[in-house]
Amino acid sequence: MPYRRADMLGALAGRRVIFVVGKGGVGKSTVATALAVAFAEQDKRVLLAQMESSRRLAEFLDLPTGDAGMVEALPNLCVLTVDGESALSEYLGLVLPVRRVQRMVVESKLYHHFVAAAPGLKELMTVGKIWYEEQLVVQGRRKWDVIVVDAPATGHVLQYLRMPGAAAEAFGPGLVRREAQKVMELLADPGRTAVCPVTTAEEMPVNETAEMYQQLHERLRVPLGVLFVNRVHTAPLGPADVPAAPAGASPLVADVLRCAREEAGWAAINRRYLDRLRAAVPMPTVRLPFLFAEEFGLAEVRALMASASRQLAPGPGQEFA
Amino acid sequence: MLADLVRDHRVVVCVGSGGVGKTTTAATIALWGALEGRRAVVLTIDPARRLANSLGIAELGDEPRQVDAVLLATTGRPVRGSLAAMMLDQKNAWDRLVARHAPSDDVRERILRNRFYLNLSQNFAGSHEYMAIEQLCLLCESDAYDLIVLDTPPTKRALDFFEAPERIRDFLDRKIVRWFLMPYLSQGWAAAKAMNRTVGFLFRKLEEATGVSALAEVSDFFSAMSGMFDAFTDRTDVIHDILRASTTAFVLVTGPEEQVLTEAEFFSGRMRSMRMPLGGVVFNRVHEELSADAGTFPGGTVARLDEEVVRAALADAGVAGPHVAWLASNFVDYQLLARGEAIRMEQFRAGLSRRVPFVTVPNFDTDVHDLASLTRMHAHLFGATAPSDGAPSRSARRRGRARD
Repeated sequence: MPYRRADMLGALAGRRVIFVVGKGGVGKSTVATALAVAFAEQDKRVLLAQMESSRRLAEFLDLPTGDAGMVEALPNLCVLTVDGESALSEYLGLVLPVRRVQRMVVESKLYHHFVAAAPGLKELMTVGKIWYEEQLVVQGRRKWDVIVVDAPATGHVLQYLRMPGAAAEAFGPGLVRREAQKVMELLADPGRTAVCPVTTAEEMPVNETAEMYQQLHERLRVPLGVLFVNRVHTAPLGPADVPAAPAGASPLVADVLRCAREEAGWAAINRRYLDRLRAAVPMPTVRLPFLFAEEFGLAEVRALMASASRQLAPGPGQEFA
Repeated sequence: MLADLVRDHRVVVCVGSGGVGKTTTAATIALWGALEGRRAVVLTIDPARRLANSLGIAELGDEPRQVDAVLLATTGRPVRGSLAAMMLDQKNAWDRLVARHAPSDDVRERILRNRFYLNLSQNFAGSHEYMAIEQLCLLCESDAYDLIVLDTPPTKRALDFFEAPERIRDFLDRKIVRWFLMPYLSQGWAAAKAMNRTVGFLFRKLEEATGVSALAEVSDFFSAMSGMFDAFTDRTDVIHDILRASTTAFVLVTGPEEQVLTEAEFFSGRMRSMRMPLGGVVFNRVHEELSADAGTFPGGTVARLDEEVVRAALADAGVAGPHVAWLASNFVDYQLLARGEAIRMEQFRAGLSRRVPFVTVPNFDTDVHDLASLTRMHAHLFGATAPSDGAPSRSARRRGRARD
């Protein structure tokens, strides 16, 4: 039975912080934007947080590039660029109330060395900033219904998610450890957090996703959401079933058949890797079609979500929680 | 074509954003060099497992290993040179760097066990990149190879890669580091305060704010490293020279997608300003424009409405069946995408010097993951040097003419 959009968002319902993770170039920002827009269009107040400034996100949402801080992109949707260092100075602002002292600390070169060398401090502060936004209450209600995090590429994101644990170990009792524990609670809470991997159905991304799944599921034990498989090609027939060009056919006909063979070839590759994913990454899976779009903008992002809702189907033996 | 570029340079650095096929391209270039008779080595980062397997480097660490001549022979071409491959293991590379420069075993052990070192060697921005370049230096210094192909790390901003040496050097700058070297630091901020009010004050505030009682450890790290700073600075100069030498060429690998090209454009500009201009461009996974000759379609280039024309042509040729509508719409979808890509690639090229060669590699409908399929890319990168499968497509020929 096909799932409707509400079902997929339903699968993530109640999760207040959604980390979108994956290898570089598979479409993380696209999926993160699509999710954020979909939630915003359901009248949720959405924060889309990016851990490093992404041109792609800025292009989709027509934002000024390179700007840090909070920008309202659409009604109900704000975009925040979080970087560890500014999050840390913001945090120091809370614990060093005298501004002159704070400035002196933050502007010293010594401080920058300290921040660069201290194990995971920047990562902790980045995730800590997201935690801070998560529990913000404005006029008696939570500021955000959902926070979608456009996370950095795989190796990096594992570092971010691993960090709070490491920091709790590395730092003596004190503010940092307390922060780290709060952040760890958020990351481990299946009622609040969901990590959603994004991949394409090809060799390298699938290998990396399988390894990441092991890490996320078995080592870090973070709550998982939905697996997005992006740029899936489909064809009604296999590459071998595409007929050869009849003798004397025009070059156009030969080219048409060649394109069909290529598309069918990709569809076959994708099918093979989808099978492998099903075995290696047992998660509810959403397939996003390859879009033959000359330019990729918000309209295409919306089309992806709509299409996801139409063809959404759980893997064998899997249901959305 | 890139044949002259690769022939004329000893070091070829493949750059570009993540997911565009850098690793594959680097391996292809090295393989071509080997088939041409050179002693080639490819330094790769995080290769696809099958690619690693096909090169016989699955279980390898960070020493170059020769690819088996028997495997090379599976390309179907006479093997005149040799191919070695190695994978970068960042942590290990740092450890070896420390071991090489540490003045004594005791200092080495102190550094290797230090938590701040562990963090720096794995997490410091630019640390991975620095090690890749460090490995490049080692390969350049050895006489074992006359073609060295480097696959750069998948940094989002690939520029980090080239700024890494300077960044590491600045980080380890004596003037700053000496604050951490003061012996009293290991006795805590109170002692520091007695010696230098400002530094002592800063440390106290940092300790209070972060709860880090590990300042002593930071200090210990820097003092253990202090004997090595000159080595790092010298190294940075060597690296600087290698990257700007006339024997080094940079090849940008990019996809034809709008987003990827925007990043590539920015990147190419920065490379120029750093005096490391691009020597060649590979557009990977390009959708080919087919039947694009004026006259095939009423408007000159394909349009959505031309599905009718395509269906009519199929009917004329006697191609029938339930999938005809899909054949036609797939073709038009594909060609519209190809048109968009061609326009974007033209725009990108307009910003480059006319002397920079560029090649397009089609969107193969198979994964490129073994020596045979790497060889299949050769025709597209180097011209008709591959024995079979070598005839460039009509659109590639057309673009080639436009360039010449």
